[in-house]
Amino acid sequence: MTHSFIHFPTCGRVLAVLFIAVLAVAQQSRAQSSPQLSFDRANELFQNGEYREALAAYRSLERQNQVSGALFLNMGISYVQLDSLGKAKYYFLKASGFDEARPEAYKALEYVESRFSRQSAVLPKLPWERAVDWLRVNIGVTSLMGISLLLLNLGVAGFVATWFFSHRFNPVFRKAGIGVAGAGIVLLLLSFYVQYVDQRYSEAVMVHSKGNVLERPSPEAPIVNQAYEGYMFTVDHYQSEPHPDWSYVRMSNGLYGWIQDDNIRIL
Amino acid sequence: MKKTGKSAVILFGVFFVLAICNFRAFAQPSVTVNASVSETTVYTGERISLSVEVSGDFNNVSRPTLPRLQGFRLLSNNPSTSRNYSFVNGRSSSSYTYSYYLIAQNKGSYVIPSVSVEIDGKEYTTDPITVRIVDRNTSATNPSAQSRPGIFLMMEVSDKTPVTGQQLIADVVLYFKEGLEVSSYQPIPGWKAEGFWKEELENSHRPRAETVILDGVRYRKARLIQLALFPTKTGELTISPYEIVVSVRSAATRDDPFSSFFGGFGSNQRQAELKTDPLNVEVRPLPDLPDGRYTGAVGSFNISREVNTREALVGETIEIKTTVKGTGNIPLIGKPAYDLPDGLEVYAPQEASSLNRHNEQISGSKTFTDIIIPRSPGTFVIPEEKMAYFNPDQNRYVVETLPPVTFTVERDPNAIASSGQTISFSVQPITGLAAWVSPHSAEPWAYWWFWAGLVLPFIVLGIGYWQKTYQEKMHTDTGFARSRKAAQIAEERLNSAVQLSEQDHVKEAYNVLQKALTGFIGDRLGLPEAGLANQEYIAALDNKGVDPNLTKNVRMLLDKCSTISYAPDASQGYLKSHVELARSILDKLKKVL
Repeated sequence: MTHSFIHFPTCGRVLAVLFIAVLAVAQQSRAQSSPQLSFDRANELFQNGEYREALAAYRSLERQNQVSGALFLNMGISYVQLDSLGKAKYYFLKASGFDEARPEAYKALEYVESRFSRQSAVLPKLPWERAVDWLRVNIGVTSLMGISLLLLNLGVAGFVATWFFSHRFNPVFRKAGIGVAGAGIVLLLLSFYVQYVDQRYSEAVMVHSKGNVLERPSPEAPIVNQAYEGYMFTVDHYQSEPHPDWSYVRMSNGLYGWIQDDNIRIL
Repeated sequence: MKKTGKSAVILFGVFFVLAICNFRAFAQPSVTVNASVSETTVYTGERISLSVEVSGDFNNVSRPTLPRLQGFRLLSNNPSTSRNYSFVNGRSSSSYTYSYYLIAQNKGSYVIPSVSVEIDGKEYTTDPITVRIVDRNTSATNPSAQSRPGIFLMMEVSDKTPVTGQQLIADVVLYFKEGLEVSSYQPIPGWKAEGFWKEELENSHRPRAETVILDGVRYRKARLIQLALFPTKTGELTISPYEIVVSVRSAATRDDPFSSFFGGFGSNQRQAELKTDPLNVEVRPLPDLPDGRYTGAVGSFNISREVNTREALVGETIEIKTTVKGTGNIPLIGKPAYDLPDGLEVYAPQEASSLNRHNEQISGSKTFTDIIIPRSPGTFVIPEEKMAYFNPDQNRYVVETLPPVTFTVERDPNAIASSGQTISFSVQPITGLAAWVSPHSAEPWAYWWFWAGLVLPFIVLGIGYWQKTYQEKMHTDTGFARSRKAAQIAEERLNSAVQLSEQDHVKEAYNVLQKALTGFIGDRLGLPEAGLANQEYIAALDNKGVDPNLTKNVRMLLDKCSTISYAPDASQGYLKSHVELARSILDKLKKVL
């Protein structure tokens, strides 16, 4: 009896301490896992003018694969404050992909573009390339494939139905079914192409003040053109793959060449 | 007290005397004692000399105390001595050499232990020397000795199983028999070591020949060229033959195998082109890196990092210098990448290296200078970095921790105008609740609906076509249609028979039962729908090869149906049992017809 009287309060205290510790750990892990909480803390740093620290906190969220339009917009603004306009442009472009930040991102992009000391000449893309880009950005490969498969199935179902239901419009329905299925197949092939383009090419932004686009992936290679902060590139991943640390790019002015990876950020 | 300066003069004198004494003490050169032998490989019965040389500045030296020698017999305890005395730059030095003669007695490898000498009351010892004694009689019979040429070139490497990037020392060694004299040599240019980065080492000494015995034949060997090779890839690599031209003078003796080759009218000096055999090296891959950044360094290094200034203005250049110093593959070391804080403009780094090719290895340093320009004021911290290199001697990675580098950047007072531009930036950060997403780039074919949507049209087409063909056949092929509907019609007729029996029309019910059976057989076998006798149905079943027992049951049931019209006691229960029998028969017939 005496034994239990002596130890019961001790056990209770130990249990209480353990309980509090578990609660604290749980609270801490919840705090760590909450992107909004980290975002709010980063925003506080931003409001205090501690832009680098704020960026470190924003980047931590980005690394955790927790992103939002607000996050990218705020990162872009932080880079503007640090006068790193290439990176600012990169994040404003990312922010423009989110509805919540699109108007502000466009406004910020306009400002950043006006600050670049050099602007690249832009060779317009071919209509076909523009169409593919539009499909890729505005509809998306997955949606395109979904639509194409839906059309294919509807067309086939309509065509097959005419075998079993007698109607005076059967010939019309049959042709309509074949047409819809054909359109589905064409759209499916197109979506495969858009997917291929999406996988092979990416847009990139020059984030350093100056860099060389070279004929070959070697620092000693002849210079094709000089690139400046904010220049946009189209990166060909297929060509770049055998050369680590180098990217094969198409510049906005239509020239092709190689640039070192640390000069650019791929969107 | 009157200040005369006398005490200062005395003090100065004391210091001067002490300084002289100390200078003498420090300037006294050290005494060195070395032991050497005339040959390190000898035949049994041959004589070699063991020399103990004492050099330096000393007064008294005792005769060396020889240890007990194994494998050798000492010819005399009294050594022959020689003495040299020199006075250079006001410093005197002398050297004593004691020479003993030893006879090699037993074959084997023996160590001549340290020899001790007492010099000015202090005992000095020499390093042990290993000498190999070869049996002349047995080694001379070695057949491979006959096939070895009188002069040849060999490539000898320090390690045949290195790791990628490890420094290999490759010696180009010339072997030649006694009686030949090599007056000069010239490497043939253009040697390539594919798979290796190569560097020729510099030797301050001229090549020195020493004696070796190969398969019982005495050769002289001399290292002509020494190279440092660094494998750049893994797997089996071959060091290609190295070629040199040597000028050889042979003694024109009748027994000399080279006398006929080199011999001439009056002059016996010739040039010979020699090359080494290809040498295979198995290059092992480096193990996985446990921690830190690896920049390709293999060897023994010290890695340091420093910044040229701790305070700068916005727009000023700051240099971060990383130095890798030590022994190993210095030219192959890549630039370390640092996690630089934001707000820094990074420019192309500079590299500089200095190599020391002496001391039989490549050593030196490589410096990487990262040039950065801060774009905003504040305190910048380049975090601590762990740099790893692979040490082949320890067979592990060594991780060096570079401490963090901190510098402060102030705003340039002359550039106030430019900072004003940021004020016009009107976009405000979003600080409220944000919609968080975790982007994932799944391919469309990772979704189930993609495959379902792709396969479904083919399934629908297949089933639809099959159904369409079936329906068309049902409409156009009467026999096929009758055959397909036979079971259903038979079942309907059996149900009808039961109903008729329940209405006390038993005889009509039996007629229907008979129709059910004959109709099923006729439909399945394509027989006429009417006008056939029971025997014809039975014959058709026999022709089809139906089981005789089943045919017997069919016949029995049909006979019963034919004769029941004349039976006075045809009851309802009796019929029902026959209906069940008919169902059983039909089930069996469905399987065979």
